[in-house]
Amino acid sequence: MIGLVWKDILVMRKTLRAYALFLAFYFILGVMGAFDISMVTAMLQVILLMLPISAFSYDELAKWNRYAMTFPLGRRAVVGARYLFCLLTALFASACGLLICVFTSLMGRSQLEENLAAVLVSLGVGLFIVDIMLPLCYKLGPERARPYLYVVVFFPIIALFLASKLGFHMDLSFLDRMSATSALGVFALVPLIALAGTWLSWLVSCRIMADKEF
Amino acid sequence: MTNSIEIQGLCKSYGDFALRDVSLTLPGGAILGLIGENGAGKTTTIKCILNLIRRDGGSITLLGQDNLRQERTVKEDVGVVLDECFFHDSLRAKDISTILSPVYRDWDDGLFRDYLDKFKLPGNKFIKEFSRGMKMKLSLAAALAHRPRLLILDEATAGLDPVVRDEILDEFLGFIGDEEHSILLSSHIITDLEKVADYITYLHQGQVVLSGSKDAILDSYGKVGCTAAQLEQIAPGDLLRVRKGPFGCEGLTADREAFRRSYPGLTVDPASLEDIMLLIGKGEPV
Repeated sequence: MIGLVWKDILVMRKTLRAYALFLAFYFILGVMGAFDISMVTAMLQVILLMLPISAFSYDELAKWNRYAMTFPLGRRAVVGARYLFCLLTALFASACGLLICVFTSLMGRSQLEENLAAVLVSLGVGLFIVDIMLPLCYKLGPERARPYLYVVVFFPIIALFLASKLGFHMDLSFLDRMSATSALGVFALVPLIALAGTWLSWLVSCRIMADKEF
Repeated sequence: MTNSIEIQGLCKSYGDFALRDVSLTLPGGAILGLIGENGAGKTTTIKCILNLIRRDGGSITLLGQDNLRQERTVKEDVGVVLDECFFHDSLRAKDISTILSPVYRDWDDGLFRDYLDKFKLPGNKFIKEFSRGMKMKLSLAAALAHRPRLLILDEATAGLDPVVRDEILDEFLGFIGDEEHSILLSSHIITDLEKVADYITYLHQGQVVLSGSKDAILDSYGKVGCTAAQLEQIAPGDLLRVRKGPFGCEGLTADREAFRRSYPGLTVDPASLEDIMLLIGKGEPV
């Protein structure tokens, strides 16, 4: 499984390098106050979670899965490796986001708790995207699954916007009454719930792969 | 000695094509050449062996182990080279070792580097810059570097020039120098199989029509050249297939010595594997 994770990293090293530069650029702009630092952490997740879909595209181009099925690993491990890569990607993105938050807080440019909450929520959103997109990529292939990414990303935003226009407002005032640590605990539930979804998503992907012929 | 591959009654249907009751055996220490026209079922057979597709019936044993129940264990001892190179263009040859060393229990990085040197493959060059010959040699190096006991090759030499093909065939012969090693080699290039194979299995329209030792086949099969009038005189059971052309007829016999004795006036030449394929594939039953 580790070998397959290495494969994804090595195949996409150029892309990873480009993203690293991109992130450094955004980090500098965030520190300079060009925009809110929580925006950078959220973008970090979106950028890095594009990577697994790119990994599917590269694999499809090389017909890699046919070769991977000849390995002494089994189909579940091949699927597991892609999930592991996604988790590592999301965690790496969150770690970068965390560093940025701490750094800007130390500089007194932002509030640490607020930014930590942004990191936790963006990690949860990132994992939620993985949970939906990976089974779709296995089922439909990366090209046919790609439009669904936009649905997954933009549908909740549109739904929230429409809900507010229709007068539905979520009462989040209870967060103001909680201590900062307790509020962070609530936000930590978002990635934890998404992580439980990742396990379900992996089971669905394994099921899809079990039925596939190469 | 355990047989390296034993297939019994393999069936797989795609609707418009079906593999029907395919049985074959590859003894240890030997090379089995799998021949047949395009769409005859060679790749489907190999995919069933590797469990890339689900079979409808039959059993497959690799190195004495069931290919489904002991799939992960047995694949540790199987090296695979398929008809194309599956490594991504953005990888370098040396990256293959980083990827495959955690995959195979017995991956030997030193051996892989030796093969890269032997095949003159630059480790730092991107695979997209490799020629087809280099890509196939890289696939072979990857298949050999985990010290398999069985090599399965599907059209691995297709599209390669004679020099590279010869180099790869030499490697195959070196590989089966160890009596525990064996190779299943599917190929259209009959001359390659005549050079290296010990056994031949010929698939035609999803069925095995000929299977046995290559030497025995080449020693016994014969190609009969005759006129249409002479063909009329031959008893139906004495020829397997015939091809009628504007300049005469050709027939295939499974026992050329017996045929010579029965028809001393007719010319019978030894049939090559290509002759056998052409007569079975394009000829008519007598």
